[in-house]
Amino acid sequence: MSDVAISTRGLRKTYRTRRGRKVVAVHGLDLDVPTGGVHGFLGPNGSGKTTSIRMLLGLVRSDAGTMTVFGKTVPAQLPEVVGRVGAIVESPKFFPAFTGRKNLELLAEAIGAPRTRVSEVLEQTSLGERGNDRFRSYSLGMKQRLAIAATLLKQPDLLIFDEPTNGLDPAGIREIRETMRGLGDQGKTVLVSSHILAEVEQVADTVSIIGHGRLLAAGTVAEVIGGSTTPTVKVAIGNHETAARILTAAGMTVRTDGKYLLVEGAPDPADVTRRLAHQELYVSELVPVRADLESVFLELTEGEGL
Amino acid sequence: MIRLTKVELRRLTARRLTLIGVAGLFLITALLLVATWFDARPLSAAEQQQAERQFQLAHKDWVDNAAENRAQCEADWKTQPDPKPTVDDMCSYPEPKLEDFGKPPTVFAQVMPGLLQGSSYILAFAAFLIGAGFVGAEFSSGAIGNWLTFEPRRLRVYGSKLLAAATGFVPIAAVVLAIVLLGTFLIVDHPGDTAGTTRKTWGDLSAIGGRAVLTTALAAALGSVVGLLLRHTAAAIGLVMAYLVLAEGVFAAFLEKAQPWLVKVNFDAFVRHDAQYYVTQCKTGSDGSYVCDYVPKTLSFEHGAWYLAILAVLAIVLGGWVFHRRDVN
Ligand SMILES: Nc1ncnc2c1ncn2[C@@H]1O[C@H](COP(=O)(O)OP(=O)(O)OP(=O)(O)O)[C@@H](O)[C@H]1O
Ligand SMILES: [Mg+2]
Repeated sequence: MSDVAISTRGLRKTYRTRRGRKVVAVHGLDLDVPTGGVHGFLGPNGSGKTTSIRMLLGLVRSDAGTMTVFGKTVPAQLPEVVGRVGAIVESPKFFPAFTGRKNLELLAEAIGAPRTRVSEVLEQTSLGERGNDRFRSYSLGMKQRLAIAATLLKQPDLLIFDEPTNGLDPAGIREIRETMRGLGDQGKTVLVSSHILAEVEQVADTVSIIGHGRLLAAGTVAEVIGGSTTPTVKVAIGNHETAARILTAAGMTVRTDGKYLLVEGAPDPADVTRRLAHQELYVSELVPVRADLESVFLELTEGEGL
Repeated sequence: MIRLTKVELRRLTARRLTLIGVAGLFLITALLLVATWFDARPLSAAEQQQAERQFQLAHKDWVDNAAENRAQCEADWKTQPDPKPTVDDMCSYPEPKLEDFGKPPTVFAQVMPGLLQGSSYILAFAAFLIGAGFVGAEFSSGAIGNWLTFEPRRLRVYGSKLLAAATGFVPIAAVVLAIVLLGTFLIVDHPGDTAGTTRKTWGDLSAIGGRAVLTTALAAALGSVVGLLLRHTAAAIGLVMAYLVLAEGVFAAFLEKAQPWLVKVNFDAFVRHDAQYYVTQCKTGSDGSYVCDYVPKTLSFEHGAWYLAILAVLAIVLGGWVFHRRDVN
């Protein structure tokens, strides 16, 4: 049981809008987040990421399905595990007229954490001096840091970040990424929802892709990419026809793309150069066409967005 | 729950709205005492002489005309149709006394209950608003969502908020009422009349004060419930204003019989230990005349106490149920 930090089965949530229309935000989601490491939770806008996270945290009631966090059924047993879970849902929300420090002190007191912990987490998130300013006066980046500081008050084993880099500058994005990687490397579980794929690809060990509130793909980054696209290399060479014949004979698929050949199905790019060099054809350029999460994501979620 | 309540109390006392509200309460208390002082102030020498002159004029008029007026009135009385007041009610011309002129002395035991009651309205109103802001702000800022990721047991969270709002107002109300009570005593003691203030008077006044502390705590808790239900301080204030104007004002004026079921009279009955309200009673006399009277009715303390208790329980249960089920964004 301890190999999954979060597990949901058939999770479902329908919202009723003001005008009485029903919106199915989460539609039978089966999600598994392994313990330890960073798990990317991907999906287009409106696919139900935030709603799923809210249900896991007991903020929103599910209509159907089951959820467990560290083996405890939530929301029923949430109080037993909530001390191990730090979460930032959407934008950080605190009391605007209180200082960052005051906000943290209230939270620390609520969970019985010592006061000294507040200064520690403020230092850890480089908020130190600014901790005594009102939350209202913080920049987005500082608000985000304060939210992270709040999650660290509990010294959690599971961190849930909902689009943590929203609105941050490149330095801020890198910082958050490094924070998440660092937490993952310490053996903590980080669930990060995002639609910035390059981001997640760099930091995540495993990912789940959802669309319209359903799971579309899950696994390690390599599995998800490998599962839906085949490795391709782009080759620049003088004699297209001969080269294509040789490679096709070796069981590869060859297409022409302008002055390049696109070769699919080569077990290794070195295979391509070796076979051609054998026939005295020399490759002037060879680029692996890296299938990335973005293309997989677009392929999977085509027509799934709002 | 105790730890959470302590945290909520800390938050309550750190809020600017609370500080401004409490400062405002003390300011109003001070103004109330100043007004009492003006009321109780003895007349100046010049005013005193003026009053005496008026008395002498009136007394002379009585000596000259009273007998004649009475005879005339009795003659008129005989020709009046029934039903009519007794001849003594209609035709009494008592001798004017000096005390009736100028200013009557302020009697502590008489003015104090009204002052305490007035203070209890102000306290309840302030407590309601501050309570509504205390919880409403959490929802409008979204901080409640973050809070619930630290303490997901909603009923505890709810209970701690109400408890903090209510207990936070107990010392505030007690201090304000004590200032009004003792301040008035000292003010009246000098020029007015506190001689007849017995142990029982003090007992009664303390009981009124104690009940006013309770209503203040209750108002703070109900304010929190309304702030939670409406999620905005402004909406809660709007609701109270609308209720006061529509239900207590317009509705009570048109449907006087409904008064025992409105908040104000029950509040009065509880704080003052029985309260009077008035209904118009009209009847046709034997001569066909249609007379309307303003008849006082008494609402009992027990009625007021039960009414407030049931209102509080219903509101608190409703708030708890809604918060327990509500999706928090
Ligand atoms: N409180 C609400 N009331 C009504 N509908 C809602 C509410 N919250 C979310 N929805 C709807 O539920 C669906 C899923 O929303 P959700 O916020 O979970 O998506 P998301 O994946 O987090 O999107 P994004 O990437 O834009 O943050 C959307 O269609 C949204 O309009
Ligand atoms: Mg979202």
